[in-house]
Amino acid sequence: MTVATTNGTAKRTAAANSRKVRFRIKRCDGPNKLVRWETFELTIAKGENVISCLQKIAANPVTTEGKRSTPVVWDCSCLEEVCGSCTMVINGQARQSCSALIDVIAPDDGDTVTLEPMSKFPVIRDLWVDRSRMFDALKRVKAWVPIDGTYDLGAGPRERPEEQAVRYALSECMTCGCCLEACPQFELAEDESEWDKSFIGAQALSQARLFNLHETGAQLKGDRLETLMGPDGVSECGNAQNCVKVCPKHIPLTESIAAVGRSTTIHAISKWFSGK
Amino acid sequence: MAKSEGFLERHHFLLRRLHSLTGVVPIGMFLMVHLTTNASIVWGRINGHDGLEGADAAVATFQHEVNFIHSLPALILIEIFGLWLPIAFHSVLGVIYATSSKPNNDRYAYQDNWRYTLQRISGYVGVLFIFYHVATLRWGWSFLIPGGTEWSAEYAASTMAAALQGSTDGFRLGGLLVSAFYMVGVSLLVFHLANGLWTAAISWGLTVSESAQKRWGQVCFVIGVGLMLAAWSAVLGFATLDAASAREVETNMLEKAAAADGDGAAPEHAASHDEDSDHTGG
Repeated sequence: MTVATTNGTAKRTAAANSRKVRFRIKRCDGPNKLVRWETFELTIAKGENVISCLQKIAANPVTTEGKRSTPVVWDCSCLEEVCGSCTMVINGQARQSCSALIDVIAPDDGDTVTLEPMSKFPVIRDLWVDRSRMFDALKRVKAWVPIDGTYDLGAGPRERPEEQAVRYALSECMTCGCCLEACPQFELAEDESEWDKSFIGAQALSQARLFNLHETGAQLKGDRLETLMGPDGVSECGNAQNCVKVCPKHIPLTESIAAVGRSTTIHAISKWFSGK
Repeated sequence: MAKSEGFLERHHFLLRRLHSLTGVVPIGMFLMVHLTTNASIVWGRINGHDGLEGADAAVATFQHEVNFIHSLPALILIEIFGLWLPIAFHSVLGVIYATSSKPNNDRYAYQDNWRYTLQRISGYVGVLFIFYHVATLRWGWSFLIPGGTEWSAEYAASTMAAALQGSTDGFRLGGLLVSAFYMVGVSLLVFHLANGLWTAAISWGLTVSESAQKRWGQVCFVIGVGLMLAAWSAVLGFATLDAASAREVETNMLEKAAAADGDGAAPEHAASHDEDSDHTGG
């Protein structure tokens, strides 16, 4: 960073530049490999985020004990908190590393930042986890509008702006996994065959609601509700409501869960009285 | 890895909703009536009963309530199908469901998350407490009561006091433990009901919006505070009751009922009849 010319700014920048922050990182070389902790110390400039710090560590991966290690592996893409791929557990809570500013999470000289991979997804390496289960969950709840076919379906039904406003908030989900990481009912399932046996989580429930609210998407509403009435469905929610508090996009996840709860209640009752 | 789907999985949704429903009706409704009735050992003092005052009036009021309950037709069927089976169902499924929980309050110390964990803890403790409560006082397992006293429907308040105090003449160490267990047990159960009413409304989809959940949460809080006061007054009321003088009041009531019972009707029916005529029931 270039230092400003005027006296005051120059001094402050110099002071900020001399600030040291330790990074305690949970490392793992691959699936089923041993977990170890390594600590790195960095000189922090103003405005840095966790990702820029991980880049600095990659450039010179020497631990505080002076041991030469390997660059820490992590996943990232957009760097502006819309893709969700750089989600990790930072100082004990799940969030995106791109928007985790060091000035905020470790404001003082000598502070420590603890980085861990999310615990509810299989670790690929270090801070990089396999989030496939969430994408599989989107398929299971048919989180799409069914318009594929062999002929032109014409214009769809009209959508009301009020409902679009509700759907817009839900559509902001970036499949980052924070809601699932913070959920005491959502469990790690390493094997694909276990994915439909334990709680599907707020992310897919909210997406099911999003597409149920869409006039054309609602054609698959029954299928979605049937899936969500299964052993991994909406009734596995324990109402701890951590999901809505950790969601970086402030999606009303608990409202989505309650809305799916209401839909399944109505669906089950109407099925009992008029179904086969 | 094809695990065969068990009974719990095949009927998952129905069982989950029945678990939620039984918690409200009949169990929750019963708890409300039960705690209000038992709190009569305190509010009976204020009301007075049949010319009696103070603790004597409370003992008579409570006895009157118990007589009413024992005058219900087919009480054993009401107990089995209205209480014991629903409680067993709610407890067994509740414990099964709670085992899949991985509390994380150390990392996510939100109030809602603490209530989530406490809901499970109160469930576990509540099962133990209800078992002890019903086994000792209803099924007569008096070997589990420190003083070995037995609860009797004719001497309801005095034998209840003896069970909580560990003897028929004042507190013993064992009684202190039983009373403490009662305080913890009822407090956790009241929390479990109040919080359960709040979560049930979300599970069934009655309260969808965040503000609706907040509003209903305030109602549940008020219900919880009211029931908590009733529960504490009941336990403290019996724990501090003089069992000997309570027994005198109860003996008098029995004698009066027997005297009025010259025509040979069943004694407990006559007793409740007699009381019903001049005082409002619970």
